[in-house]
Amino acid sequence: MSPIAFVAALFATSLAAGAAGAVLGLGGGILLIPVLTLFYGVDLRYAMGASIVSVIATSSGAAASYLRSSLSNVRIGLFLALATVSGALVGAGLAGVVPVRWLQLLLGLALAYSALTTLRQLHVELPEPTDADPLALRFGLEGTYYDAAFDREVKYRAAHVGRGFAAMLGAGVLSGLLGIGSGAFKVLAMDHFMRLPMKVSTATSNFMIGITSAATAGVYFARGDIHTLLAAPVAVGVLAGAMLATRVMARLRNTTIRKVFLPVLAYLAVSMILRGLGIGLP
Amino acid sequence: MSAASGVERVVARMLAWGGLLSVSLMLGGLVVYALQGQPHVHDVLAGAHDRQSGRAEDVFTSLNDVGRALRQRPPDGLAITTLGLVCLLVTPVAGVALAIPAFWREGDRQYALIAAVVLAMLLVSFVVAGRA
Repeated sequence: MSPIAFVAALFATSLAAGAAGAVLGLGGGILLIPVLTLFYGVDLRYAMGASIVSVIATSSGAAASYLRSSLSNVRIGLFLALATVSGALVGAGLAGVVPVRWLQLLLGLALAYSALTTLRQLHVELPEPTDADPLALRFGLEGTYYDAAFDREVKYRAAHVGRGFAAMLGAGVLSGLLGIGSGAFKVLAMDHFMRLPMKVSTATSNFMIGITSAATAGVYFARGDIHTLLAAPVAVGVLAGAMLATRVMARLRNTTIRKVFLPVLAYLAVSMILRGLGIGLP
Repeated sequence: MSAASGVERVVARMLAWGGLLSVSLMLGGLVVYALQGQPHVHDVLAGAHDRQSGRAEDVFTSLNDVGRALRQRPPDGLAITTLGLVCLLVTPVAGVALAIPAFWREGDRQYALIAAVVLAMLLVSFVVAGRA
C-alpha cells in the first residue's frame, strides 16, 4: 500500500471506530487493536499506543457535546474517577506481580455474567425508580436530561453507589494492569449497579475514559509506543467520527444502544476467557 | 434544569478547543511533512509494521526530543504532528483542572476538592511515567 493510501485507510477505519465508541461509551480500542494488527499488520505495541490515543480522542470529541446537552454527568463522572484513577495507579504498580492470566479469566467470567443480565434487561427503556441511596444524596449523584427519542425530560438518581464505586475501582486496576481503557466496565457499573439510564451511562463513560487513559498515556509515550504516522490519522479520524456520532446518539433509544452493546460485551467476554486459558486470540 | 450548568460548559469548551488545536497541529504537521517530500516515509511506515526494522529516531519519546526537532530550520513536520498528539493527551487533564475553579465559583467546595484530588492523582501518574 502506498503511504497516502495507508494513511487514508487508517483515517476511514478510525472514523467508524470513533462513531461506535462515542455511542457505546468505549474508547474504540477493542475495535481498533484487532483491526490494526490483523488487517494492517501493525506491531501490537504501536497498535496499543494508537488505541490509547483513540480513547482520549473519542472522549474529547464526544464528551464536549454530551456535557453541553447534559447527557454526561460531570459530578458522577468525577466522583467515580476517584475510583478509576486511583485503581489505575494501583494497577500500574501491581503489573508484573499479579498473574495476568487469572485476572483475564476472572474478567471474562464477570463480563459473561453481565452479558447474560444485560440480555434479560434488553427491553428495559429506563430503570425503575429505587429508594434514595444516602451516598447519592450526599454527593449529588443525580441529574436531568432531555431525551430526544421521547421528547421529554428524564430525571434520574444513582442507586447502589458503594457497589458501583467498587466496580469502578476494579475497572481502574484492570486498565492500569492490562493497558485497556475499560469503558465497557464503566458503562456496566453505571447501567447495571447504579441503575442510571443507558444513555447517561455511555455518555458519562465517554467523559471518564479520557481522564483514566490520560493517567496511562504518559507511560506509553515515554516507552515510545506512540507512532506519529499511525496515531495521528487515527486521532483525527476518531475525533471526527465521535463528533458526528454524538448528533445521532441523542435520538437513539436506550434499548437500541443496549442491543448494540451486547455483542461487543459477548465478544470481549469470550476473548478474555480464552486468553485467560492461554488460547491466543486477536 | 436540563441546560448545562457553568461547570459542564467550562469543561466542554476545554475539551472542544483542546481537540480542535490538536487536530490543527496534527494536520498542519502532516502537510509540512508532505511538502518536505515525506523524508524516509517508507522506513517510518516499515517500522510501524515491524518495530525492529524502523529507525528509532522516527518515534518521539520525550518533550525534549519534540522541542529539539521543532527548533530545526525548517521544522520537522512529524514533530509538529507529535506536538498535536501531546496536546490531545493533556486535554482531559486540563478539563479536570478547569473544573476546580468552576465548582468553587458555584459554591460547590465538595466537588472542587474531588476534582483537585483527581488532578493530583493524574499529575502523580505523569511524574511516575517520566521517571520510568
